[in-house]
Amino acid sequence: MTNYPTMETVELGDELPVMHKRVEEAELFLYSAASFNPHRIHYDRAYAQYEGHQDIVVHGPLQGSWLTQFVTDWAGPRSRLLSVEWQNRASAFVGDELYFSGSVISINQTNGSVELEINERKEDGSLLMPAKATIKLEETK
Amino acid sequence: MSSSLIPPESLARVGEILAGPITVRIDSREAQRYAYAVGDLNPIYFDEDSAKAAGYRTLTIPPLFITHALVPPKPTEALRTDGLYKDSATVTLEVERMMFGGEEWDFLEPVCIDDEITGTTRLLDLDQKEGKKGSFVRLVRETTFTNQNEQVVARSRQIGIAR
Repeated sequence: MTNYPTMETVELGDELPVMHKRVEEAELFLYSAASFNPHRIHYDRAYAQYEGHQDIVVHGPLQGSWLTQFVTDWAGPRSRLLSVEWQNRASAFVGDELYFSGSVISINQTNGSVELEINERKEDGSLLMPAKATIKLEETK
Repeated sequence: MSSSLIPPESLARVGEILAGPITVRIDSREAQRYAYAVGDLNPIYFDEDSAKAAGYRTLTIPPLFITHALVPPKPTEALRTDGLYKDSATVTLEVERMMFGGEEWDFLEPVCIDDEITGTTRLLDLDQKEGKKGSFVRLVRETTFTNQNEQVVARSRQIGIAR
């Protein structure tokens, strides 16, 4: 049984376990299909390069969904995500090694939520997506 | 001072509805395809008992799926060369390229399978700014999502950077 954080156990500065993602063409194609997104830069390498991208581009909203997964995997199924926000600073490309890291930056005892600061980075440390999230933690029984 | 990248007729559209209202019933197969495509295998999206144990009425969905669930079916004749649809929601700007700047989401009520979700998208803001690489336009679209009980379940603000 996984021990998810609660308002009793969470501490300022707690770090979330790093989440790694790497996607190949087939996964990006599936995401295009599942999100009804026909934008050519996400499956056609020649077209993506014609538009000035170095390779097939990872969808921004896919990285947004990885962000929500990163937070809810940490907080568990009984948590409730209240908000997320992110900025797309640079593009991720097919085959890139991507890492999500984050920590607790504030604790709101009144409504039982915490605020998280999160970054998605490439293997070389360059920042792709700075983000924030607030999540209401599981209530202890 | 550089010239305006925002034609007056585009500026006049701030506040206007760009898309919707469109109503869609949330489908479990579509939501699960999305969850698999993301690689988010949270049991509350796949297993009804897990969803109920977590306090949901029935299966819930990956939070951002709601925006994709509302994409209207369109014929391939509406596709442009870049693969995007010719879209009445496009705001005319004197720029070469629109980039995806980021998003902001508020989640207010749970969304479950078979909920009837209505989405309405407005042009919230258009603002010309000066950056290191010259002038750019920050375009903000806000979508409000309501359910069959007329509760607002989520709001998203999508930020586009055009230069």
